[in-house]
Amino acid sequence: MAVSVETSAETPVEPMPESAPKTAPGVRVGGLSVVYKTPAGELPAIAGIDLELRPGTITGVVGESGSGKSTLALSLLNAVQPPGRIAAGSVEIDGLGDVVGLRGEELRKARGRHIGYVFQAAQNSLNPLKTVGKQLLDLGRSHGVSDLRALVREAKELLGRMGLDGARVLDSHQHELSGGMRQRVGIMLALVLNAHLVVLDEPTTALDMITQATILRIIREVHEERGLTTMVITHDLGVVAEVADRLAVMYGGRVVEQGPTHEVLATPRHPYTRGLLGAIPRLVGDIDEARALPGRPPTLGTVPREGCVFRERCALRMDVCETVEPPTVADGPRLVACHAVEAGGAVREESA
Amino acid sequence: MIRGTGIVKTFKQRGSVLAGREVKALRGVDFSIEKGGAVSFIGESGCGKTTLGRIIAGLETYDSGEIVIDGTAMSALKPRARQPYFRRIQLIHQDPYSALNPTRTIHQTLHAPLALRAKQTRRPGSWIDTRAAELLSLVGLDPGYVLPRYPHQLSGGMRQRVVIARALTVDPEMLVADEATSMIDVSLRLGILSLLKDLRERLGVSVLFITHDVATARYIGGDGDMYVIYRGQIVERGKVETIISSPVHPYTQSLLSAIPVLHGLERPGEQRVVPTEALDESKSDDGCLFARRCPFSTDRCTSEIPLLARSGGFAQEHSCFYPERRNVVATPLEAA
Repeated sequence: MAVSVETSAETPVEPMPESAPKTAPGVRVGGLSVVYKTPAGELPAIAGIDLELRPGTITGVVGESGSGKSTLALSLLNAVQPPGRIAAGSVEIDGLGDVVGLRGEELRKARGRHIGYVFQAAQNSLNPLKTVGKQLLDLGRSHGVSDLRALVREAKELLGRMGLDGARVLDSHQHELSGGMRQRVGIMLALVLNAHLVVLDEPTTALDMITQATILRIIREVHEERGLTTMVITHDLGVVAEVADRLAVMYGGRVVEQGPTHEVLATPRHPYTRGLLGAIPRLVGDIDEARALPGRPPTLGTVPREGCVFRERCALRMDVCETVEPPTVADGPRLVACHAVEAGGAVREESA
Repeated sequence: MIRGTGIVKTFKQRGSVLAGREVKALRGVDFSIEKGGAVSFIGESGCGKTTLGRIIAGLETYDSGEIVIDGTAMSALKPRARQPYFRRIQLIHQDPYSALNPTRTIHQTLHAPLALRAKQTRRPGSWIDTRAAELLSLVGLDPGYVLPRYPHQLSGGMRQRVVIARALTVDPEMLVADEATSMIDVSLRLGILSLLKDLRERLGVSVLFITHDVATARYIGGDGDMYVIYRGQIVERGKVETIISSPVHPYTQSLLSAIPVLHGLERPGEQRVVPTEALDESKSDDGCLFARRCPFSTDRCTSEIPLLARSGGFAQEHSCFYPERRNVVATPLEAA
């Protein structure tokens, strides 16, 4: 097919035209709330999220089902679908402004060009009827790329960079590719328009351990080589521990703790972060030390309307947790939202 | 309680394009699971571990080999006569969202198999509801809350517990848990694992645990056996703690090396093994099946077939010509 003919072109790769930014953008999420309309009224999936993605870093967002992590990721694209809507707050992206205010054509152009999104289950986000190459050309045309040959070359280079035979992959339908290969195609499609902000939603869920390790290495390497700002959404603390510079832990639609990954893992402060770390099956150490958290994560309907969202499962619960939502308190690079930590837990942790 | 020798299973592709292509899911596998024992199968997707689990649960046929359950060879029996044997082995599969009928309440779901059981064992009808409540309490659920509800009203963890309770309605001697925790929230995963461990200890039910997540296998029982399966063959077999703490086959070492390291809490193993290429089933089958991806392979590996045996003074069986302990597992940093 047409795509493979173009392989032989020996002309050097031209830089991508158009106005895409050439450096990693910073992102500032401020007071972001997203509500979903339900028979019980509008319920918040995320409420008052403040989060900064620093230029050139990988931020990992960890949460269980119902924590609001995917809603947060969709908000970066202003792609929350009805019955959901962004009720308050802003998402400022360098070189783009507040995406919450973008509409229609402006928004469509921003997606792809500025923000690349790798969907959860990349295997299901490809069109089964078209070859990857055809989908790539569709993507190029819909974004008005004038030099489609350069786009194909860029795609092949990216696929080659990730250890795949670019020409073969572009000629393939999705069913001919393995899970790990489809995930890499997803990453290629997110990057090929030269976006410098990339959001990966559960990039390794449903992949094997060995494939997962390969994909995580690729994410890290491509991030550094292309100078990206990357956000990785996952339920797996291990994935974040492998790739992320900074870590944000979400629970019940709030960011309960954030900070440099190594510090948060070494000295977790929020009781939820501690519980989550303690609940991971490990290869070494005393297996009796690992424990499941009591209770279960809240859903849209069961998130407490006032007070701390985690209190039902918390061992450090105090009276104030019933009525007052804990404020996010900064300590150097670390942020925690917990009454118990504020009342001295953090100090104890440091001196221990 | 169940033993298998030389199990072979080949899937033949149908359809016009791929017709005649064969996938060797199992290439002569031996296994043995004791009464009340714990065994785990680990390996990548496509290695044949799920197929083997389904054969053990009586849900899949095999091309050759023999399965013996409680001393009775299955080949000697007609298919219908095998049923009471395989009823002793119940499968709990990965997805608790599709394993339960969404149009039935949990009460209805449990009632049907229990009613049959009551008839078989000549128990009164009143036993059914008592038993349903008993089983739900056993798996850590509140019968009053769960029984009248539909699956969609329960969380993933609760649904998986219901699936386990349903498997227990027929008083099985063995549970086959195929990736039973992979779709459960992280904070609740250990709860399901310790439930399985608990059932094993309290009821004496054997547990066959099938997973790609090596670490979870430890929580079913460190005294259990671990089988590392690669492309339909067992490449390493021994006690769970032996395999995890001192693996000798490079494939097992690759699996263990791939587990994410919690930087800040752990130090990565110094000799982590990374396969030299991705899995490609279409590549040649000569010699050691892992040789093409193995960073340590030699000419011997591609020409001669290694057999699973105990050699080199190691505690476990392995099928590698050059077994060597390598330090691949992350170790915890000293508590800060």
